[in-house]
Amino acid sequence: MLTRFRALTVTGAVCASTFMALPNAVAEVEPGGWTSVSPTFTVQERGCGQVDGLTFQLTCSTASGDQRAERRYATYTGGTRQFEGYFRISSLSGTRISLKQTFNESAAGPYFMLAVERGGRLYAVHGGDTLSNAGTVGATVRVNTVHQVGSSHRTYINGSLQHTYASPGGSFYDKFGAYRTNSGNGPATVVWSNVRFWRK
Amino acid sequence: MSVPVRIAAPTALVFALVLVLSACSATRTKGEGGADKRPATAGHPVAGKADAASGVVLHAERTTPTDIDLRWRGGGSGASGHVLEFATDESGPYTVLQYLPPRVTSYRHPDLIPNTTFFYRLRAFRGPVSKAVSVTLPKGELTAEAENSSHDWLPARKDPKRTVPGRPLRSTGAGAPTGFKATVKHANGILFTWTDRASDEAGFLLEARTRTGSAYEPVVVLDPDVNSTGLITLPAEKEASYRVRAFTYGERSNVVRLTTGESTGP
Repeated sequence: MLTRFRALTVTGAVCASTFMALPNAVAEVEPGGWTSVSPTFTVQERGCGQVDGLTFQLTCSTASGDQRAERRYATYTGGTRQFEGYFRISSLSGTRISLKQTFNESAAGPYFMLAVERGGRLYAVHGGDTLSNAGTVGATVRVNTVHQVGSSHRTYINGSLQHTYASPGGSFYDKFGAYRTNSGNGPATVVWSNVRFWRK
Repeated sequence: MSVPVRIAAPTALVFALVLVLSACSATRTKGEGGADKRPATAGHPVAGKADAASGVVLHAERTTPTDIDLRWRGGGSGASGHVLEFATDESGPYTVLQYLPPRVTSYRHPDLIPNTTFFYRLRAFRGPVSKAVSVTLPKGELTAEAENSSHDWLPARKDPKRTVPGRPLRSTGAGAPTGFKATVKHANGILFTWTDRASDEAGFLLEARTRTGSAYEPVVVLDPDVNSTGLITLPAEKEASYRVRAFTYGERSNVVRLTTGESTGP
């Protein structure tokens, strides 16, 4: 069985005062040679998934079928890509909801999925590793992923390296929002903010 | 049975009371710490610190190229705890690492992003607490039926029936939540309700003390005016005491910054 933990849960706007407009500064992690990019995206609403800006909701408790509220970003091939974003799970009566995916288009399947289960454990769907002792339902959590295609995929939660994964070559794309995993169900509401991308 | 792990007070590290800053190469500015950009080694840690305008003085030390230890002192009397935040941009956004009880004065931020400048700040919080309630949960793991049951009791709520005209929070206890009640929902689920009697709270903290714990620890932070929340418990919380605190934020510490070195990991 997987390790269980719960970090402090923070709800709503208690921490909102810590957020302010981002400067145009380059604040990417693992600095050196990054170029800020703005990939295009499409919004995906399936089943009871609803997207309103950066608020992603699964409004039902259905434990089957495609229940999805996500942004799907443009495909990339080769090089190194960085994603940064902040999410807050404002409510989670359901469980095992994917928050952020790196999708392997070449293999036609998810390659990395960061998910949350009821109670707040953040974990990697593939392998089941617990990723974080910092993020939980209601807390604002910062995520950085650095994907060197053909080499590795690193995930930082609140600044700390929590997951390293070998990466095949091929074509990939980023997705985030709220998505029912095979063993999961809603309802869930996830709010993302300050999402940025870089490449090198 | 799984092994429960929770962010908790890290074991207090032994630090020198006075950090030697003569090696710092960065210019110190008001309210901000300098940082030594040289790579740290186990035998030569790098420290950053600053003079704080408030009573809380935060120090940071890079103990390995990618580990930063933080410690603090002061904060005045009556602080109920501190909130530790970090950013990698001087102007933010800052992200909360943890709400910490007052007896905790250190924190380790481990396995950090390499070659990146981290900014840290600390803020005191204070406020009165409700009476405590002890909860003993049913033995065993969650049943499939309970797992698949509706958990609509879980999200935090603001019920007007349990909100009364509030009073400003005082250390004397004015504005403390009343009517604090716990309802067991299943083998690891509890619904907490209380009456909000504060007029100026920044939020509420649900605090827990496990059967073997020595003190109450914040486990949930809630918005102003919230008066109910569910909790999914950990195995160590089969028997625990809970209370809720209405709180306001106090003084903020200095900001410290340190730059990590090259990763030594795989």
